[in-house]
Amino acid sequence: MTIRRREFLTRMAALAAAAGYTQFSFGDDDDRRRSTSGSSTPGTTTTSALPATGINARVVVVGGGMAGATVAKFLRLWGGSGVQVTLVEKEPRYVSNILSNLVLTDAVTMSSLEFSYATLVANYGITLVQGTALAADPVTRQLTVATATGPRQLPFDRLVVAPGIDFAFPAGLETEAQRALAPHAWQAGPQTTLLRSQIRAMRTGGTFVMTVPATPYRCPPGPYERACVVADWLKRNKPGSKVLVLDANADIAAERDSFRRAFTQTHAGVIEYVPNAAVERVDTAQRKVFTSLGEFGGDVLNVIPTNVGPGLLSSLGLASAPNGFAGVDVLSYESNVARGIHVIGDASATTQPKAGHIGNQEAKVCADAILRTLAGGSPDPAPVTNSSCYSPITASTASFLTAVFGYDPATRTMKVVPGATGEALSASKDHYEDMFVWFRTLMRDSFA
Amino acid sequence: MKKILLITLAAAGATSALGQTAAVSPPGRLLASNCFQCHGTDGRGSGTFERLAGESAREIAEELREMKAENKRGDIMTIHAKGYTDAQIALIADYLSKQRR
Repeated sequence: MTIRRREFLTRMAALAAAAGYTQFSFGDDDDRRRSTSGSSTPGTTTTSALPATGINARVVVVGGGMAGATVAKFLRLWGGSGVQVTLVEKEPRYVSNILSNLVLTDAVTMSSLEFSYATLVANYGITLVQGTALAADPVTRQLTVATATGPRQLPFDRLVVAPGIDFAFPAGLETEAQRALAPHAWQAGPQTTLLRSQIRAMRTGGTFVMTVPATPYRCPPGPYERACVVADWLKRNKPGSKVLVLDANADIAAERDSFRRAFTQTHAGVIEYVPNAAVERVDTAQRKVFTSLGEFGGDVLNVIPTNVGPGLLSSLGLASAPNGFAGVDVLSYESNVARGIHVIGDASATTQPKAGHIGNQEAKVCADAILRTLAGGSPDPAPVTNSSCYSPITASTASFLTAVFGYDPATRTMKVVPGATGEALSASKDHYEDMFVWFRTLMRDSFA
Repeated sequence: MKKILLITLAAAGATSALGQTAAVSPPGRLLASNCFQCHGTDGRGSGTFERLAGESAREIAEELREMKAENKRGDIMTIHAKGYTDAQIALIADYLSKQRR
C-alpha cells in the first residue's frame, strides 16, 4: 500500500528530525552554510530561475512576519524579476512566535527561533529596508518610511501591509515597570525571556496566573498550550505549584477536546481553568488580577492583553473592522476601504484564525491575486486556505488542530469546508516529533 | 455580420485574458500552495513531510481521494483531504507532478 509506505517514510523523517532537534537550528543557518560552501552562490541560482511573466510593477510589503515574508517571497517566485519587491521591517530579524512557549521550559532555545531576512534577499532578490512605515499616500502611491538614515519615500503600484497585532493593556499596566511585572510574552523575544526567568524565580508551591484575552487574538490554541507546558515543567521542577488560567471567553477557544483532556486528566490538580473571567484591572504590587468574576492572586502574573490592530492600520486609514483590525476582500486581501492596499495575516479581520500557518497561505492568495490583477485579470474566484498547528501538551507529547477554508460567494467569507476540520484524538510522541517537521518546513516556506 | 465580428472579438479578448492569467497563475498552483507549508515550497525540500514534487499525478490524486474517503478520525491528512473537491485534487496533483524533483 502506497500510503503505508509514505506514512512510514514520513515517520522516519520525523524521527530523524526530532532526534537531532536540540542541536538543530530551525533557522537558516544550515542554508547559509550550504550556500556559502557550495558551488552555487545565493542570489544567482534561484533568482535566475524566476519566471518571465511580463509583469513590471513595484510592490512594497510592510512587516516581515509570517505573512509579510511569505508574500514577498511568492511575489518574486511567481511574479518574476519584473516585480520589484521591497520589504520594510523595523527589526533586523524575525523571532518566531510559533514554538516560543517551549522557550519557557527550555525545550528549545530563543536563538533557534530566529530567522534572518538574508535568505529572502539572496534567493529572490527582495530589497530589504530596515525601518518603520509612517504614512502612505494613495494618490501619489508613496510610502514614507523612517530609517536610521532619515525618512525615505518608497513608490509602489501595490502596497501589502502585514503588521501583525498590538495590545490594549488593562488598567494597572500603564507603565513599562508595571508591564515588566506581568509580561504577556505574546510577542516572542525579550518578553519570552522575561517570563521564563520569572517562572524560574517562582517559589515552589506557588501559583502561575495567566489570562486569556477575548477572541479574536493571535494563535487561538496558544494560551492553553502555554498552560500545559508550564504545568508540565512545574510538576517536574517545582512540585506542588499551580497554574491558574483566567479566560475571558466562555470556553476554551480552540482545540477544545485536547485541552479539556489535558486540563482534567494530564495536568489534573495542577491547572485550574476559570472561564468567563475577563480582566478588568491588574495590581502588580499586590500580584493580583481583578476580573469580572472577582480577584485572583498569584506569584507570577502572565497577562495576555486584548489583541488589537496595530496603530499603522489606523494611520493608513485601514482599520475598518472591530478592534482596529482591517476589513478585506478575502479574494485578494485588498482593503475594503483603500484601493491598491492589501492587508494580510493577523492584522486583517476575516473568519480565519490569526496564526502563522494560515497567514502564510493568505499571503499566497494575496500574491496570486496581485499578479493576476497586474496582468489585467481578476483574482481566483475560489481560493482555498488551510490552518494547521501542533501544540505541545507535555515535554514529549503534542496534539494538533487543522482546518481547510473555502470561499463562500454568498457571504463573501472564507468558511470551513464541511468535515475538513479536526484535532488529534490524543496527545502523542508522534505528534510531538511531527511538530518539529511542520515548524521547520513552514519556516522555510516563509523565509527561505 | 456585425454580430459575428463582435462575438469573435469578445472570444479573442477572453482567450487572451485567460492565456495571460494562465501564464501568471498556472492552474492548480494556488491550490497546491496549501501543501507547501508541510511538504516544502513546490512540494520539494529536505526534512519535510513526504516530497510531492515530481511524483505521479495519478498516485497523488489517488492517495488524496483515498484519504478523503477514509473515516479515520484524528488523522491530519484524512481531515485535510476533505477540504478539496475531486476536481481540485486533480489540479493539485497535476501541478505537483510537473515540479522538478
